Amino acid sequence: MRKQHLDGILKSKIFWAIIAELAILIVCGILRPDFFRLKWIDQTGMWSGSLIDIINYSSEITIIAMGMSMVIALGGTDLSVGSLMAVSGAIALKLLRWDVVEFPTPGDFTVRPFALVILVPLVVCALMGAFNGTLISRFKMQPIIATLVLMVAGRGIAQITTNGKQFTTMFEPFRQIGLGGFIVPMPVIITIVVVTVMALFTRKTSFGMFVESVGINRNASRVSGLRSNRIIMIVYIITGFLAGISGLIYSSRISSCDSNNAGLNYEMDAILAVVIGGTSMTGGKFSLAGTVVGSLVIRTITTLVLFLGINPDAIMAIKAGIIAVVIVLQSEPVRRKMSELGKNRKQAIGGEARA
Amino acid sequence: MQDVILEMKQIEIQFPGVKALDKVDFTLNRGEVHALLGENGAGKSTLIKCLTGVHHMDAGTIMLDGKSITPTSPQAAMQMGISTVFQEVNLCPNLTVAENIFIGRQPMKFFQIDWDTINSRSTQLMDRMGMNIDVTRPLSSYSTAIQQMVSIARAVDVQAKVLILDEPTSSLDENEVKQLFKVVRDLKAEGLGIIFITHFLDQVFEISDRITVLRNGKLIGEHLIGDITKLELVTNMIGKDMNEIFNLKRAEQKPSAANVLKAENIGIPGKVEDISVELKNGELLGFAGLLGSGRTETAEMLFGVTRPLQGTVQVNGTDAKIRDPLDAINQKIAFCPEDRKRDGIIGDLSVRENIYLAVQAKRGFLHPMSRSEQMELARYYIDLLSIATPDTEKKVGELSGGNQQKVILARWMATKPDILILDEPTRGIDVGAKAEVQRLMLEMCEKDDMGIIFISSELDEIIRCSNRITIMRDGAKAGEVDGENCTQSDILSIIAGEQKGGTQA
Repeated sequence: MRKQHLDGILKSKIFWAIIAELAILIVCGILRPDFFRLKWIDQTGMWSGSLIDIINYSSEITIIAMGMSMVIALGGTDLSVGSLMAVSGAIALKLLRWDVVEFPTPGDFTVRPFALVILVPLVVCALMGAFNGTLISRFKMQPIIATLVLMVAGRGIAQITTNGKQFTTMFEPFRQIGLGGFIVPMPVIITIVVVTVMALFTRKTSFGMFVESVGINRNASRVSGLRSNRIIMIVYIITGFLAGISGLIYSSRISSCDSNNAGLNYEMDAILAVVIGGTSMTGGKFSLAGTVVGSLVIRTITTLVLFLGINPDAIMAIKAGIIAVVIVLQSEPVRRKMSELGKNRKQAIGGEARA
Repeated sequence: MQDVILEMKQIEIQFPGVKALDKVDFTLNRGEVHALLGENGAGKSTLIKCLTGVHHMDAGTIMLDGKSITPTSPQAAMQMGISTVFQEVNLCPNLTVAENIFIGRQPMKFFQIDWDTINSRSTQLMDRMGMNIDVTRPLSSYSTAIQQMVSIARAVDVQAKVLILDEPTSSLDENEVKQLFKVVRDLKAEGLGIIFITHFLDQVFEISDRITVLRNGKLIGEHLIGDITKLELVTNMIGKDMNEIFNLKRAEQKPSAANVLKAENIGIPGKVEDISVELKNGELLGFAGLLGSGRTETAEMLFGVTRPLQGTVQVNGTDAKIRDPLDAINQKIAFCPEDRKRDGIIGDLSVRENIYLAVQAKRGFLHPMSRSEQMELARYYIDLLSIATPDTEKKVGELSGGNQQKVILARWMATKPDILILDEPTRGIDVGAKAEVQRLMLEMCEKDDMGIIFISSELDEIIRCSNRITIMRDGAKAGEVDGENCTQSDILSIIAGEQKGGTQA
């Protein structure tokens, strides 16, 4: 019995993700002895330290990856999330700096009430998610192609929104989103809220199971009474909305919008986070907890690369290498080989399961 | 009598959950066309794949020309002299006829392809088959029939002793079939042994010398062509398992029962047309007919899997608009699909999740069942249907076929339907499980007053269980008989009765 228990833990993918995270952290700790030290800063009223930084700067990825987990569970991908972040930031800044006609100067003018500055970008991003969802569910386009449309068009839309300019803002309520905090930085708080809400939404309702069911066998799900088109639609809308939140955090951090660089390559990071977290690219079961760990792993890798003094430009190459290895490990031939290896043992245990 | 070229003895293959071939014998003589018949899933293609080295048999021997062989791959089989021509032409349409015949084994001369040999040899080969064509033109400039001949030429040129034709005529018209058969007769006269697989019974009688019938992986019989009638052949293929003795009694029909389902003239033009179905509470209506006769299509229309373009459906006396399966579920209809893998199980989800899926779909995801409700439901049906699973969390894909079928049945029973449509619920599961499914079906009719539509290819189980039997042929309703006073031959004659050439068997 105990052996089976251990077997289950070893097989669970989140276990390996946690091991990977711990391993990278330990290497970081060896390189920088003060790595694990947390300091209380009186002026800001927050803890600070490398660990807090890692969690803080992984926020955008973690939030997007919550949606991406479900997208991938459906057997799809959403390449547009990075561009949606740029759209969200651009709209927010446009609303904040409605006064700017010429080259921007720091100012506080905002469309009032301030809530609109937050809501409008989120609604627009959700609508763009709905656009993705429509192409995929109703027009049966391949997700990778369908979301490529907004991946390309999104940055253009962001540029048009701000007339190709980079607005900056010193409006304090907006800056609080990325730079403020209470005991921990604000992005961390937002992430915790988002992760909690998503976890409750997927696991306390049946939505998570429906998504998995459609991802595993869309035909059978339909015959069983699931309206798969509607489910696909909801998932892409949620993902768009979450990309909007990430976009607000990002542009708040830099107190500005940047149509070219905001969220650049974040779709890759989000996919990578999901995959490291143990959700298979072929769709099916997903794990939000795994995705959170996956997101932390990515951020920690970035930190490690910086500690090692490697050129930051190499980070993408290193990440790409990791994603390649993970996907190969999940691939059909490799898994078949693995299951063949484990078969003899399994037959002995699971013999009575077959009737 | 004649000299045997190929002898397969006691072939056995075990696939997960089913015995695909069970002690099958097959012999082929020189200069003979031997037809291999059986319904889909009977084991024809498995037997052929065994012979061509795609599958590896678990037991049995293959003797070719008196020598024992164990083909390990199609290439190896080809070198031993066993060539196959497949249903679809798998050649390269943009290469020339000659290139297609010699692709992969081009004769070389001074490090160059010997085009002269290729072209002259190809012309010879095609001549031998009575085809006078320009072999240097691309294959795509010729008709499907000629393309088919080219694949035969390619197969024959490899010094074949045994030629397997796997549904070679399904994409040919009548004249092309004649042309093909002429070639087949010539090859036969040359002493080749030919295995002919087809769904077309008329063609079997036209060209074959002997017939072997398989059903459910078992050898049903071997007949000389003159010794068997078409009717007997159909009977053999569809099968009646005399050994299965069940003391099941069909549900007592209450004369006062109301119509629970009434479909009038539903259809999709071109596929199935003008189908009317009436079903009473507590009645078991059988759907008989060959595969592709429209049985499954009708069921799918009633459940909203495909939307009928014509006709009306009434449930419990009121008009029902059924646009998709969820609408049907809300009308208290349930449907166990024929293709369990494609439309039934969600393999990576657990037994528990598979069982409560349809109930949950009906409630919508915002009204989830509590974990304990789910467990209770799953445990209840695992006990009721005696599903063999170690626990509720086992992935359903890892269960055996019969148990997967029971899980799907549980999914639908849990929705407490008034109308249950079962499409081949007993296919591919063993005799014991079959009997159990039938017993359950009758119990639901009797106790729960459910109206059940039961689709099956096995006539005896339809006759045993049904109150009424609707017979389908060629996408239309061909007749209806009373379940209590009818015999297999009544139904068979309606199925085969007016058959004219080319009807799928």
